[in-house]
Amino acid sequence: MHYSGLLLDMLNGFDPMPLAKLEVGHHLYWRIGDLTIHGQVFLTSWIVIGLLLIASIAATRNAQRVPSGIQNLMEYALEFVRDLTKNQIGEKEYRPWVPFVGTLFLFIFVANWSGALVPWKLIHLPEGELAAPTNDINTTVALALLVSLAYFYAGFKKKGLGYFAKYIQPTPILLPIAILEDFTKPLSLSFRLFGNILADELVVAVLVLLVPLFVPLPVMMLGLFTSAIQALVFATLAAAYIHEALEGHGEEEAH
Amino acid sequence: MFDFDATLPLIAIQFLVLTAIMNVVFYKPLTRVIGEREDYIRSKKNEARERLDKANRLAEQYEQELANTRRQSQGLIADAQAEAQKIATEQVAAAQKEVQGELLQAQQELNQQKQAALGQLEQEVDALSRQILRKLVGATG
Repeated sequence: MHYSGLLLDMLNGFDPMPLAKLEVGHHLYWRIGDLTIHGQVFLTSWIVIGLLLIASIAATRNAQRVPSGIQNLMEYALEFVRDLTKNQIGEKEYRPWVPFVGTLFLFIFVANWSGALVPWKLIHLPEGELAAPTNDINTTVALALLVSLAYFYAGFKKKGLGYFAKYIQPTPILLPIAILEDFTKPLSLSFRLFGNILADELVVAVLVLLVPLFVPLPVMMLGLFTSAIQALVFATLAAAYIHEALEGHGEEEAH
Repeated sequence: MFDFDATLPLIAIQFLVLTAIMNVVFYKPLTRVIGEREDYIRSKKNEARERLDKANRLAEQYEQELANTRRQSQGLIADAQAEAQKIATEQVAAAQKEVQGELLQAQQELNQQKQAALGQLEQEVDALSRQILRKLVGATG
């Protein structure tokens, strides 16, 4: 983890601009008893959560039949995540999963965009730097593991122990692959999100370092796009996995 | 980059709490508002459809009534026209009869006067012829 930090430290030598300093692998460590946690992740995640909660409360505090302003925006968001969940899980069983999948999407989306839009660098921390919470592997792995738990929960709730039948459903030969899937799913989910967001922030930072001001703007736009797409992909895949667990393997091929 | 520590479970717990809170402050109220709005629109739509049906039925009914009334009024007009025609012919006939009566009377009067005039003329002719005779007889006699 320190090699990239080293390389970027070398690059830092060329540039006196304080805005373009890069740090990867440095964290603001907080200690709770024997445990260490990454403070900067929590700080930004609290800001993201605060934004979401404030927007939600502002939207629903005085909900009107004819929506306007923030209520309109949040209703659009709600309908978006509801449609996303419905398209993946299906009309019949999507309802209880809307909050989970929707919050996944909203949290990741706002977190990614906060990383791309908010100039966190202006706030100095004693160690490490503020960035999107999804920039930290702990966050993405946490979310991916929650998705795993969610689809196991969905499967067990629907079919009980019959859920295990899906591992040998078409043929027991595929059992190892079916088991492997349970590991690759959270792995791919977490690394996809982590890699994209980190890479995007690094690319922007390196470009800012090399050619300041206007040249990095297109890359920043691309970063915004990527961030939104990654949030969508994460939520869509989460819903798709839940759907798979609910449906079972046999029917899954059919649709 | 890959140092996992207590951040992971804490973020997971934090996310679950966020989901729970968002469920209360965001998903439930807004879903309810959207559902209520859909119900409202559906009921208003049904109401409007019923009203439209009713209006259509009323329009049809009025149209029928209008047609009936028009038929009736046409019958009335035809009756009145026939009656007027009859009265007109009667009156024309009566007038013609009267005129003919008067004509006849006038002719009779004319005839009478003619007779009277002729009688008078005859008397005058008689008187004149007598005078002529007397003169002739007197001259000779």
